[in-house]
Amino acid sequence: MRPNAIRVALGAMLAAIMLTAAFASTASAAPAWKFEGKALEGTETILGGAEKSGLSMWGMTTTCDNFLYEVDISNSAGTGKGNVTSLPLFNCYTNSTCTVEAIEAETFPWPAELKTVSTSNYLVIKNVNVWVLYGGWFCPLWGVWAHVTGTAGGLIDNATETATFNPSSFKATGTKLEALGESVEWNGKFPTEAFEWHRNQALSVS
Amino acid sequence: MAQKPGAKRLLIKPAKATSAGVFLALVLAALMLLGCGGGSSDSSSSGSTAADAAGGSGDPGSTTGTGGASSDANGTTSGANGAEKAAGSGRLSGGGSSANGDQPSAGSKHGPRIAQPKGEPEPGITPQQRQEATVASMALESPSSQASSAGPQALPATYTCDGKGTSPALRWQGVPQGTAELVIFTMNVQPVEEKLFFDWAVAGLSPDLTEVEVGKLPRGAIVGRNSFGKAGYEICPPSGAETYVFTVFALPRKLSPSQGFDPSALRKEVLDSSGNVGLLALSYARG
Repeated sequence: MRPNAIRVALGAMLAAIMLTAAFASTASAAPAWKFEGKALEGTETILGGAEKSGLSMWGMTTTCDNFLYEVDISNSAGTGKGNVTSLPLFNCYTNSTCTVEAIEAETFPWPAELKTVSTSNYLVIKNVNVWVLYGGWFCPLWGVWAHVTGTAGGLIDNATETATFNPSSFKATGTKLEALGESVEWNGKFPTEAFEWHRNQALSVS
Repeated sequence: MAQKPGAKRLLIKPAKATSAGVFLALVLAALMLLGCGGGSSDSSSSGSTAADAAGGSGDPGSTTGTGGASSDANGTTSGANGAEKAAGSGRLSGGGSSANGDQPSAGSKHGPRIAQPKGEPEPGITPQQRQEATVASMALESPSSQASSAGPQALPATYTCDGKGTSPALRWQGVPQGTAELVIFTMNVQPVEEKLFFDWAVAGLSPDLTEVEVGKLPRGAIVGRNSFGKAGYEICPPSGAETYVFTVFALPRKLSPSQGFDPSALRKEVLDSSGNVGLLALSYARG
């Protein structure tokens, strides 16, 4: 075989290997955090904030007028990861006679990751840990700790830059929150945006 | 998505190529694709980072990176290498500090969309609250309940006024050492006329007890007057669905109320003295 022919053959083989690897990578592509269409490199902090997000359990709903979460995000091996570092809650109340004496999220950070189910992308937050103390003389849970724990999956909509947590998103991601031995439903639509390096940039996941 | 046509073109080229130089270019292009993750999710990112890194901080480069990759293999080779280097060196340590100032002008279309919270965040839990609050440390279940597709387990109609109206079986564990008496309360979650509604209240239960059977109470049980005005058990919602909280409190001292006691008054004593409770929610929907 002539040297030129060998070079051509080797080049073709290498190209085939590379293309195969490249397209295999395409097939298993995991969702990543992006700003203005570019994958995030390094880290960023995003804030999700919902108005009137509620935790429903025991036939009653505990609503907070403002329900925020702060997540440090990054891409690792092409997959979006994150850590929820705080969850401040504002003006919380119930639709029953119970008052919210105290509510506090604890044991941060809560690990988070992006997940694709079918064609939709989700933010899955693990190790959720929220304590609620209800009060009120006419509250059947007066003086009892409700400890909300588990994993929560929210649907990400790139068009609106929101993460929506509801029974459908929990079902799709196979996630579940519990308190006092009962399942907890979390409903809330969270506009989400960066507030460090990529402030004011369009956030998307793909 | 934009790089797909380019990728197709790369696939077509080798069939026509006859020189090693073209193949080398193809290999390098493939390398670049691999380095970019190859997928629509990642390729544009590394490509754009490459453009940022190679082209300087002022180069938005998203189009250049992806377009170059698809249209000119030779031309993007150096960019790809530069991208890998840039990625390896870490963006935040180098370009990160200037990233804010390097934002593409298109990014400025976004404004704050998260509603500004009113007031201060809810106060955290105080040490005193931690100490005084009742912990649901006991496990309470009802063999009489049925699984529900959503929300609390269902209370079958036989345990309501639509059926025999007998009390359901309850089973618990985790009664702490030193318990002197157990007390059961059943209440509506939602208030009735803005008041807590008691469906059942039973005191005087032995701490050794671990269950009550359907429609039965052990000897020595003291039954309170429920919110229907009856000394006994009754669940009878007017219509629709209602959730009921069954509770078993472990008391460190005997309260020994009299038969037909006022459950509201006893509950206050119980909450003042007990730090351990088992809770169970059951729902019933009246048609």
